[in-house]
Amino acid sequence: MQTDDLIRALAGNVAPVSPHLVERQLAMGIAAGAVATLLAIASTLGFRPDLAAAMHDFTFWMKWTYTISLGVGAIAATVHLARPDATRAQWLWLLVIPFGLLACVAASELARTPFDGWLPLWLGQSWKRCSIFVAMLAAPIFIGLIWAFRQFAPTRLRLTGATAGLASGACAATLYGLHCPEASALFVLTWYSLGMGLAALAGTLIGPRFLRW
Amino acid sequence: MRASEEQLRIWMIGGLDGDAEAHAALLRALVPMLRSFFGRRLRGAEDDVEDLVQETLMAIHTRRGTYDRTRPFAAWAYAVARYKMIDQFRRTRGTVPIEGLEDILIAEGFEDACAARMDIDRLLGGLSDKQARAIRATKIDGLSTAEAARAGGYSEADVKVSVHRGLKALAARLKGGA
Repeated sequence: MQTDDLIRALAGNVAPVSPHLVERQLAMGIAAGAVATLLAIASTLGFRPDLAAAMHDFTFWMKWTYTISLGVGAIAATVHLARPDATRAQWLWLLVIPFGLLACVAASELARTPFDGWLPLWLGQSWKRCSIFVAMLAAPIFIGLIWAFRQFAPTRLRLTGATAGLASGACAATLYGLHCPEASALFVLTWYSLGMGLAALAGTLIGPRFLRW
Repeated sequence: MRASEEQLRIWMIGGLDGDAEAHAALLRALVPMLRSFFGRRLRGAEDDVEDLVQETLMAIHTRRGTYDRTRPFAAWAYAVARYKMIDQFRRTRGTVPIEGLEDILIAEGFEDACAARMDIDRLLGGLSDKQARAIRATKIDGLSTAEAARAGGYSEADVKVSVHRGLKALAARLKGGA
């Protein structure tokens, strides 16, 4: 095909584009995935029975602050990486701040607990399934993100896959908090983080395959 | 004549707002820019250049929503072009890792090469003219001793001695931290 013909064909199809296309598409992708995740939790795991009371507790908000702040950071990075001229995102390191703060809470928890209470604090009731649930619940949100990316132009595919994976993991962990009754910071720091890390790892591995354009 | 960044941006934003005329003008103005961008990097592959120009135009069209109106336009367009070029390298040669290649190819590789060249110039600058020329010919340009001798008008033994003494002097200076 001649280049001039191509230009004529392309110029025949010029729909207006919203200045906030990237943000809007990503929000839609995350929302659609989150609904699917929420339905999965509601239908299989169920919400914690004391949810209304727990929402007045420190530990509930500690968990949410941790996962939501990680989610916000990872989503911001993903928005940034959706554009081809994205610069190197050095501020991604800011994501260690929530982790560090939660580690401080966990340390003070340990300091207040006698030594033989440490293991239950760390393992809780559900350490065996927590991480794997978080990682699995991230999948619908990750799919939503990948769907949003089909009109984007990422150029750092592996990094974009990682931030998208982390974003979906953090969103999934936030929703999983509606089910999970665990209350120790050490538990969240270990097993929630592991679940989100698995989601980020999966995103790193499979991202490039789906993000190519 | 090349369209200015300002003009390209105005056309781009016009196209984003649905103005087909502006969009066509933008794509037409990009064609010579992209041809020379790819031409410089893929010397002697005219078909590839034209393929890449067309692919980039299509990508710029279908992914124009990722252009942030507050940022420079040319940087965005060249980022798309660079990605398309790397993607093609990878598809046709199979073994080029996409991640980081653009940096090696364009930014850091060039910068490092310049820095290395400047270092070499600075180092050789401290030697006698004859020694510097002998080292440059044999160690950097890759000539044989015989070729270097012929090119410089010296005997082969002369070149060998110059290289040997020159390298020794360089080693001594590097060890001294000069």
